[in-house]
Amino acid sequence: MNGALVTLKKELLSYAVSPVSWIIAVLFYFVRGFELSDLALVFAVYRADPDMFPAATYGNFSTNVMVMLVPGILTMRCFAEERRTGSIETLMTAPVTDFAVVFGKWLAAALFYAILWLPSVLVLHVLEYPAYFDVDIAFGPVFSAYLGMFLLAGFLLAFGCFASSLTDNTMLAAILTILFDGVLMKAPSWLATRIGDWGDGWYARELLAKIDVMGNFSTWFARGLIDTSQVAFFLGGIAFFLFLTWISLTSRRLA
Amino acid sequence: MIRVVDLHKRFGPTLAVRGVSFEIQPGEVVGFLGPNGAGKTTTIRVLTGYHPATSGLAEVAGCDVRRQSLEVRRHIGYLPQEVPIYPDLRVVEFLRYRAALKGVPRRDRKAAVERAMAKAGIADVARKLVGHVSHGYRQRVGLADALVANPPILILDEPTSGLDPNQRRRVKQVVRELSAEHTILFSSHILGEVQDVCSRVIVIHRGTVRADGRPDELVAGGTRARLSVRARCPAELLREIVTVLAGVVADTIDVAEDDAAAGHGVATLRCELEPSSDPSEELGTRLQQAAVPVYGLEVERPTLEEYFYAITDGADQREELALAAAATEGGPR
Repeated sequence: MNGALVTLKKELLSYAVSPVSWIIAVLFYFVRGFELSDLALVFAVYRADPDMFPAATYGNFSTNVMVMLVPGILTMRCFAEERRTGSIETLMTAPVTDFAVVFGKWLAAALFYAILWLPSVLVLHVLEYPAYFDVDIAFGPVFSAYLGMFLLAGFLLAFGCFASSLTDNTMLAAILTILFDGVLMKAPSWLATRIGDWGDGWYARELLAKIDVMGNFSTWFARGLIDTSQVAFFLGGIAFFLFLTWISLTSRRLA
Repeated sequence: MIRVVDLHKRFGPTLAVRGVSFEIQPGEVVGFLGPNGAGKTTTIRVLTGYHPATSGLAEVAGCDVRRQSLEVRRHIGYLPQEVPIYPDLRVVEFLRYRAALKGVPRRDRKAAVERAMAKAGIADVARKLVGHVSHGYRQRVGLADALVANPPILILDEPTSGLDPNQRRRVKQVVRELSAEHTILFSSHILGEVQDVCSRVIVIHRGTVRADGRPDELVAGGTRARLSVRARCPAELLREIVTVLAGVVADTIDVAEDDAAAGHGVATLRCELEPSSDPSEELGTRLQQAAVPVYGLEVERPTLEEYFYAITDGADQREELALAAAATEGGPR
């Protein structure tokens, strides 16, 4: 595990000194600040249930950007940049296992993603003050919503690592990941409405319902419910794509 | 320390390495010579576990590079041809990261990094971003990386490529200092520096080993020296004197006489000598006995460069000529 830990630290340092990370963070909180102030105003004026406030933020532009674009941007350099600069050679000839490198890089991306997201909890806490809602926001659903978001992000970041291991072009890696994100977000619900009679056989509709990430979010995580099958789906997806990334790297030693 | 037996490496239809075999004993500094595209880097990449061999055996410190890759990598400090770096890390951060990755214990890491920086001569740029240092320094950062875990074996793939003469001199000096503590495989296509640094050379060309031995022995044993003599006498007399000397290759004698019509011509003779022979002393005596005034006598020893040419491109040209001759003879009648 030493190799994974060392890789994790180095990658976190690289994220911390990368201007791209800071641009993402600044833009995210800038846009989110406007969105939350608008939402808070609407909730305050119409006396809607403030406990539903966290769930209402799912439809925000900033949330969509964080889910659709940011995983691809964060992971695009993981392996593609190492291939492009040739540093993959010194990395792969160091006495460290390929899986430790893969896991360390993914964990660093996931932790950095979490670091980008977590301050948004503080914003919700600020909204409890008398100047805004003057009520206690239920942090149970907030916790499950954040858990769901991190699981989804971990899954997308694992795919991002895999995409990055396939090419030495960072832009291509980012585009592949963003396309995958888009398909995962939109395709299940879109397909479910168009498969017609065919969907009644072969458990097609059930399968689509299981992988309808956004639908499941509003059904489960946003309501404070943690569905173990959803957790297993994301964890399985993370393991699957990390495994594929490892295969992609280690095939160099086997071919 | 390193053993390679009948190593083959294929990339698609191209056979980059064809049956390479050699052994390197502990403490040796071996030059790995070859023209561009000869298979040096491919062989090195197999040894470092970066590429798998198609067939054959490669062992480092008694460990098979395919089955015990991790163990092999613990014994090697590797400087690739193109020094890859992380431009957003400082030199000292990069080396600390590499030391940690290579398993240097935390308590020894600071000292290991300082020692590697001192050996590579980069202490003055320790706080600079790796992306901001010059190419020469970057090369030395790569060398410090290879040294940081103090491995018993160093594999340096063209460590002086792209450096100016002063930087090359500095790197050669470092390699000489390191040879006391490490077994070194030093790949290069610059012959002079291999001759300066290495006690033994392996020449590889078109994926096969063409020569393996001490540089001076290879040169002396494999290439003919040239004798050149200028004396005031008839050309035929000079030819007679030289022809009987031991070591002279008779059919390479070429003699010409200047200003013969005036009756006091100067003959110039050139010929090749068998490897390791030197008839200059005997020739001097014979010329003296014949009362021939000598204007110049020189035995020109072959250089490693000539030897290198003779067994690489020179051999290819001879082969092509032989093939062309055979084709002409066997052509349409």
